[in-house]
Amino acid sequence: MRVKKGTVLCVDDEPNILRSLHWMLHKDFDVMTAPDGHAGLEMLRKHDFDVIVSDQRMPGMIGSEFLREACKVAPRAMRILLTGYSDMQAILRSINEGEVFRFVNKPWSNEELSSTVAEAAAIARTQPAPAAAPEAGPEIDETLDSILVLDEDPQLAGFVKQSIASQARITHATSMAEAVAVLGSESVAVIVSDTRVGRMDTTPLLKVLKQRHPAIVAVVLTADSDVDAVIKLINQGQVYRFVPKPVKPAFLKIMLASAVHKHRELRSTPGLERRHAVQAMPADTEEKLVRAVQEEAMRLKPQAQAPGNASVLGRIGGGLKKLFGIG
Amino acid sequence: MRFRLVRYFTLASVGMFAAVAIALAYFERQQASFIGDMQRQEIGFVKQVQAAFARQQEEGSLRDLVATHEAGNITLTRVVANMLWDRDFAPFVAKVALLPVDHCRAIADVTAPDGRKTAPPEKKACFAELGAKIQALPEFKALDAKVFDTMKRTTVFKVKAFDVRGITAYSSEHSQIGDDKSSNGGWLGAMKGTVKSDLSRRDKFNAFEGVVENRDLLSSYLPVYAFGTDTVVGVFEVYSDMTPMLAQVKDTSAKIAAAARGNEAKMEQVAAVNLDVVENLSLRAMAIVGALLALLFVALFVIVRRADGIIVQQARQREQDHQQLAQSEKMASLGQMVAGVAHQLNTPLAFSRSNISMVQDALKGYELPLKVAQAFARTAARTEGDTVSVNVAANREKLEQIAEDGIDDVGTLSQMLGDTLQGIDQMHELVENLRDFTRLDRAKTAQFDLNKGLHTVAYIARSAIPNRVKVVEEYGSLPLVECNPSQLNQVFLNLINNAAQAIPGEGTVTVRSAVEGERVRVDVSDTGTGIPTEVQPRIFETYFTTKPAGEGTGLGLPIVKSIVAEHGGDITFTTRQGAGTTFSVFLPVVLPEPAAA
Repeated sequence: MRVKKGTVLCVDDEPNILRSLHWMLHKDFDVMTAPDGHAGLEMLRKHDFDVIVSDQRMPGMIGSEFLREACKVAPRAMRILLTGYSDMQAILRSINEGEVFRFVNKPWSNEELSSTVAEAAAIARTQPAPAAAPEAGPEIDETLDSILVLDEDPQLAGFVKQSIASQARITHATSMAEAVAVLGSESVAVIVSDTRVGRMDTTPLLKVLKQRHPAIVAVVLTADSDVDAVIKLINQGQVYRFVPKPVKPAFLKIMLASAVHKHRELRSTPGLERRHAVQAMPADTEEKLVRAVQEEAMRLKPQAQAPGNASVLGRIGGGLKKLFGIG
Repeated sequence: MRFRLVRYFTLASVGMFAAVAIALAYFERQQASFIGDMQRQEIGFVKQVQAAFARQQEEGSLRDLVATHEAGNITLTRVVANMLWDRDFAPFVAKVALLPVDHCRAIADVTAPDGRKTAPPEKKACFAELGAKIQALPEFKALDAKVFDTMKRTTVFKVKAFDVRGITAYSSEHSQIGDDKSSNGGWLGAMKGTVKSDLSRRDKFNAFEGVVENRDLLSSYLPVYAFGTDTVVGVFEVYSDMTPMLAQVKDTSAKIAAAARGNEAKMEQVAAVNLDVVENLSLRAMAIVGALLALLFVALFVIVRRADGIIVQQARQREQDHQQLAQSEKMASLGQMVAGVAHQLNTPLAFSRSNISMVQDALKGYELPLKVAQAFARTAARTEGDTVSVNVAANREKLEQIAEDGIDDVGTLSQMLGDTLQGIDQMHELVENLRDFTRLDRAKTAQFDLNKGLHTVAYIARSAIPNRVKVVEEYGSLPLVECNPSQLNQVFLNLINNAAQAIPGEGTVTVRSAVEGERVRVDVSDTGTGIPTEVQPRIFETYFTTKPAGEGTGLGLPIVKSIVAEHGGDITFTTRQGAGTTFSVFLPVVLPEPAAA
């Protein structure tokens, strides 16, 4: 008999699916199954699991609800959500409340699903469990925490400033190049970003950032949301929170405090960031991103040459070097 | 029945315009006749004024004439009195006064048949005898001659003298001598000192110079006073000829009358002209008003025609929009259905795919053991004894691999394939139901097993509605129903979807069928919130929706109602707040004629 790589809980209302998952995973893992969310939570209380695989669409308790509860009952277990046709609302709740590790589309590829489960099991077994989220947000410390807001619209930056006032350093960047420059010169704790700035897609930056600097916590605020794009942002960018615009200042405040707390936790607990390991991206993602940022930097040049801004180009270069290890 | 705007407008306005024209013509006519009347009245008034004026003028002239002549007669009397009275008449009259008259006066008057009192013949004879006595007086002849001599070739035609008793003492007409005039008004007045004149026309008159004819005579009774006193001693009566003067007066009057007639004629002429002008004017006014009315009608007609065109176009546009909306409503429910079906397909697809890929992997793992088994079998077949010795030295590694490989046993693989087959069956069932639902490959109208159709719809609906809502089917035995199954599927899918949407949390949608009299009844009940009272009357209204803009077209239930109506059926609902709603569809077993076509 082989040594099992971990324990997995599968939750789905369809017995055929559970059987299939069982057959697929039982060789490498100890697999237990539950026909619905309530039974799943019961099992989570009784046993220690490394990975939870749940379907989204179930009668009674839907997948994202179940994962939210699972997050509280068994914070150590990594959460994987199987999705078919899901509504945006459920996806967002599973991100923001369930802190999902991966979304896997139905029908799945056996290879991909088992490797994802294996990865998750490995992380859960080797890395420390996150502390339960504090009830009240921690005080934000100006010396430690810097928040970068990447959005064309100054309103959001204003909102952020308003919600956490003088407690943190807030930098507003209106372009990716500017953001890169800031990232190069400052130690950023949290990045608050839209999915698009001007014509530029910011998601590659967020993905690369998570891959290279997992301690930086990303919060995405956007008005246009597409289920596929959101799923990719989680799988490849481990975005901490995803919030549709417009956002209420009170909510923003709680969320930012939580993000800062997450950042500190990631800093102070070595290995914890492994829990937010991202899926491999297409090979040229980084290359394309660097090129895009450089092109944008060139466009910014005339402004950059103005007195007082002489160092901007240099700072962008520094940022690129720091982020990607290139000049 | 379509409202024919242009036609109704034309009829109404032409009728109205005609009425206005008639009223106008009537008023114009009235006005013309009023003006005519007014002119006639004016002419009549002028006539009256002129006639009055002419009369006054004539009367005035006559009065003046009489007054003038009276004055002349008075003067004449004075002259005569001066000339004749003292010397000739006074002694004569004094003598006459001596003659007795009382015996004549004593003879009573008789009453004539006409009521007047006249003197009887013997009384007249008595007075005539008196006259003869007077004429027999010796001074008579000389006096008479003197009077004739004096009066010849004057305008005085006759002279009479009365004594203070009223007896005619002298008359140039001798037959009158002796007449009693004591009751004559002229004589009585003269006796009191006043002059009384009278104008009269005589056909024949005995004048000094013989008998004259056709004369206007002025007779005046004139008092004769005793010289130097106011005592009347006798009365003269003088007849003077007024004919030429009167002729003059008459002539003037005739001239005035002619002038008046001329004026009247002129006025009548002017009135006629005026009336003509007025009539012309009113004709012209009517023509203008008529033309304006015609113009107004044409303008309104053009506007109304244009409006009618726009209304027709808008109606067409609305119809098009409606069809488009109905189409989009159909597409929306179709989209919802497709999404549900896709999800429904996804589950068997997911596990079938996973199972098959596992079986495939397992089959790869079976390759080696199969080869080993085959090799062993062949070796065994070649061996005649019961024991076979195999040298495993060369293949130990492979055998170890087989031993270590944790491949699933054939039973598990068979289970996997069994599940897969089940999954494929599920997909097949779904596809079958889809086909039954759409019925694109069937006749439009058919003898339809409604329960089967309801089951298909319930099956499809289950995939589209949330899992928290259960769909329960309770079918009674039904006869085949003649209908358009595809349309009825749409009806029931819509009702079930609506029912599911009315349930906020967990709940049940129940689909029941039963025979009720000649008809088939299908109930779709939910355990939802019920329909708010204020919404109830409007739910079958086209475009009415309680969903946010952009989500509901407001055509779902109207389309349901129209399909049911086309089948000759009815749809009703009962609802209780917080308890749920039941929609009941009643369908005849046989289609009514028009819908069957």
